[in-house]
Amino acid sequence: MSAYSNLYSLQDQLGTDRTTCVEIVEYYLENIEASKHLNIYVEIFANEALERAKFLDKKLADKSTKMGPLYGLVVSIKDVLCYKDHVVTAGSKMLEGFNATYSATAIERLIAGDAIIIGRVNCDEFAMGSSNENSYYGPTINGIGDKRIPGGSSGASAVSVQMDTCMIAIGSDTGGSVRQPAGFCGVIGFKPTYGRISRYGLIAYGSSFDQIGIIGKNIRDVASTLHTISGPDQFDSTVTSMPVPDYVSDLKSERQNLRIGIFENVLNNTSVSPDIKTASKNFIKLLERRGHQVDEIPFDLLEYAVPAYYVLTTAEASSNLARYDGIRFGYKSPNAISIHDVYTHSRTEGFGEEVKRRIMLGTFVLSSGYYEAYYGKAQKVRKLLTDRINGIFEQYDLIVLPVAPSTAWEIGSKSEDPIQVYLSDIFTVIANLTGIPGISIPVGVDFEGMPIGMQVMGPKFSETLLLSTTYNLLK
Amino acid sequence: MTEFAVNIGLEVHIQLNSQSKAFCADSILFGQAPNTQISPISLAYPGTLPKINEAQIKKAVQLALAVDSEIREVSYFDRKSYFYPDLPKGYQLTQDNAPYCKGGHLDIIVGETLKRVAIHHIHMEEDAGKSIHTLDPKNSMIDLNRAGTPLLELVTDPCLETAEEAYQFLSRLRSLIRYLGISDGNMEQGSMRADCNVSIRPKVSTKLGERCEVKNVNSLRFAKKAIDYEINRQTKVIKAGGTIRQTTMDFDADKGVTRPLRDKEDVHDYRYFPDPDLPPLVLTKKYIQEVRAAMPVLPWEIENKMIEEHGISQQQAQTFAYDPELRSRFQEQLKLYPSAKKLANLYSNKIIPYIQSEGVSIKEMNLLNDQICGLLQLIDNGEVSSSKAYQLIFPELMKSDESPRNIAQRLDLIMAQSSDAELETLFKTIFDDNSEKVKAYQSGKKGLLGFFMGQAMKASGGKLNPKKAKDILQRMLDNQ
Repeated sequence: MSAYSNLYSLQDQLGTDRTTCVEIVEYYLENIEASKHLNIYVEIFANEALERAKFLDKKLADKSTKMGPLYGLVVSIKDVLCYKDHVVTAGSKMLEGFNATYSATAIERLIAGDAIIIGRVNCDEFAMGSSNENSYYGPTINGIGDKRIPGGSSGASAVSVQMDTCMIAIGSDTGGSVRQPAGFCGVIGFKPTYGRISRYGLIAYGSSFDQIGIIGKNIRDVASTLHTISGPDQFDSTVTSMPVPDYVSDLKSERQNLRIGIFENVLNNTSVSPDIKTASKNFIKLLERRGHQVDEIPFDLLEYAVPAYYVLTTAEASSNLARYDGIRFGYKSPNAISIHDVYTHSRTEGFGEEVKRRIMLGTFVLSSGYYEAYYGKAQKVRKLLTDRINGIFEQYDLIVLPVAPSTAWEIGSKSEDPIQVYLSDIFTVIANLTGIPGISIPVGVDFEGMPIGMQVMGPKFSETLLLSTTYNLLK
Repeated sequence: MTEFAVNIGLEVHIQLNSQSKAFCADSILFGQAPNTQISPISLAYPGTLPKINEAQIKKAVQLALAVDSEIREVSYFDRKSYFYPDLPKGYQLTQDNAPYCKGGHLDIIVGETLKRVAIHHIHMEEDAGKSIHTLDPKNSMIDLNRAGTPLLELVTDPCLETAEEAYQFLSRLRSLIRYLGISDGNMEQGSMRADCNVSIRPKVSTKLGERCEVKNVNSLRFAKKAIDYEINRQTKVIKAGGTIRQTTMDFDADKGVTRPLRDKEDVHDYRYFPDPDLPPLVLTKKYIQEVRAAMPVLPWEIENKMIEEHGISQQQAQTFAYDPELRSRFQEQLKLYPSAKKLANLYSNKIIPYIQSEGVSIKEMNLLNDQICGLLQLIDNGEVSSSKAYQLIFPELMKSDESPRNIAQRLDLIMAQSSDAELETLFKTIFDDNSEKVKAYQSGKKGLLGFFMGQAMKASGGKLNPKKAKDILQRMLDNQ
């Protein structure tokens, strides 16, 4: 159990003689040290975090200054978020030693909110992966079980919270990259509506899917963080101008008698592990005991979600990653002389296998002659899925699904079969394909003691409903 | 012998004169030190995103309205992918699938005839940076100041039939964008660039021939040269039994020839797809109405009105129509001087050639309205010959505020206002000295009139009122 269970009680203690920001940072630095074998952090900002803690303690002592809403919150950031004058590599050799020249909007808002950033954590290269095995820095290991993957791509982010090395981890979720590792690690993972948080400074994978997500141990901390980093941004025109509600105050306003749907083909699907089916059924019972109505609803488009997702995200990725050409920044092959060689050698040597696989796939689906058959068709599937999901939300308030068909697998056990890994994203990609928010919460463990997560999804901009419902469930 | 018809289509890139780049706040000032007008966004640093600059949208809509193009309420930006060192993102943001406007036309005058040139569409896009291959023997240099500059690409139908028509179209378009104030239209600096698609076909055929696209044409004159060269080249190839392959050509302005850059086989697969970082561009009817309301009267409307009101030539009216500064000076002067035709002639003979050759504005010429009118009145009164007024007095006007009359006196150009009797005496003397010529005139050599005038001018030191003298001479010769 963490010494600092939540930000709310921590802020109560701060400013009294019970604790200081410096003590908090020292506590987390010790935990980072103790969990080094899991390969969570690729860089620890120890001195900087301590300096900042000192600064915040001083600020707190000066009663005339107002503290930011996140003062004392210790945060880890995924290695895809730009933080000015800090290295950011997207877990890739391509960006080895690359220094960010500006900060992501979300990072700026964290700092303006008086949070403390303690380090940069590992992830799948360019956030492409579901197991955190595709990193230039090697795999991150789940703190639970024996040599289990933590999930991905924000695997290390989930472990950083799981192992109590920070209170909140900021990750990114393109197809489940926050919710799935949170589920695999027994913590909370939240992906807001597409357009809720600025993507400026988030290294792009699939631009129309990417969304910054939050991993934490309690809903309240997640809500506080979300509130601070959300909202319009002059640097990202896909962010909504809708006002940001006070997610924290709204937690207590629990809505009663919700109508909740679960896809009927999940509970009788042979690829879903028996323990997860049982957990799902128990979760349904819990919801019913709370007075909500849960219906099994038909959803025959599920099998199209993963193919559409991989066609569209790889298409966008093939274009988003074209900028890594060895010219202006990043890895440039020492073996290249001609311009053609600069491109081919730098990209061949700089990118890892999974990234190259996805760039090639994405280039193929956009190429003339194949565009309609793949990209065009996948866009239609996306539209169809979106219409269908919106239709469901006309009758239902929420949809619940398991986070994944299985719990965390052993490192290396699926490396030879990327399709198998892709299919494990089946329950999470829906939210990214349709832009809706989703939260994964821990609901138990399987027969081996590996965590099981359930996912709750709502219509666009239903963050308040998702957070208050899960807050009251977990209370 | 097969006769050939020519089809020319133009793709004109117009650099908009906004303050900042199309999708970020970098300045687009021309002529700055390399790589100083840049930012993480224009360098495509990881995590950066585009955001559309509102200023360019208004300019784009203005051009669309001016050429009567149909504006789409919702249009999209696409990514056009290719690798090149001066293209930081590895793709160019452009409008491929649904440009912001389609159709439209621009009228040109070729010789005496009016031709309506059909515009296929106009779309918005961003410019690439510059690659410089000549500074270092081993390396190419990249300057990204231009990367991300807002462009409009105007595409015509292949309906132009001669190099002259293409020239007139480009010239007209350049005047128009300058008139609208959306671009400086400077081709040498690259703020207007034309790609010329040229094809030929047998006159009897309606099917377009295979086209070649000439790129990098950076002046109106070169465009005309390049097209003429290309027409000749293609005609020769076909007459010799060859075929034209779709090719991208470069124009070598020094040698005046086109040369293949790349073949159809190397045509890129640009893998266009909608840019997920930019929301659709929405141009509401209300917005378009606001832009329309704030538009100046279009030059061809002014042109027609001026021809009708002042009886000046179309060429003159056009010049005034496209140049508001010149037009307002002309109109001020018309209040002081009655003959629009004579005033317009002074503009086309002296003022406009001066502006064009010296590259100055009418303001910089430092001419007072009173001076202009005074000069014309001196001619009208027969006090100074028009040739002397143009050649000797006009240049003096620009040096100071001195009145034309003073200048004429100072330079001793005022013509003697001789009486009829004095002139008659003078001519009598000349007739006496040249009796043979008088006889020749009377037997039909009417051209000798000029000889007698010349003699009289010589005798008077050039200060005769030529009109009056000529009248008297004529009368005397006819009555001899």
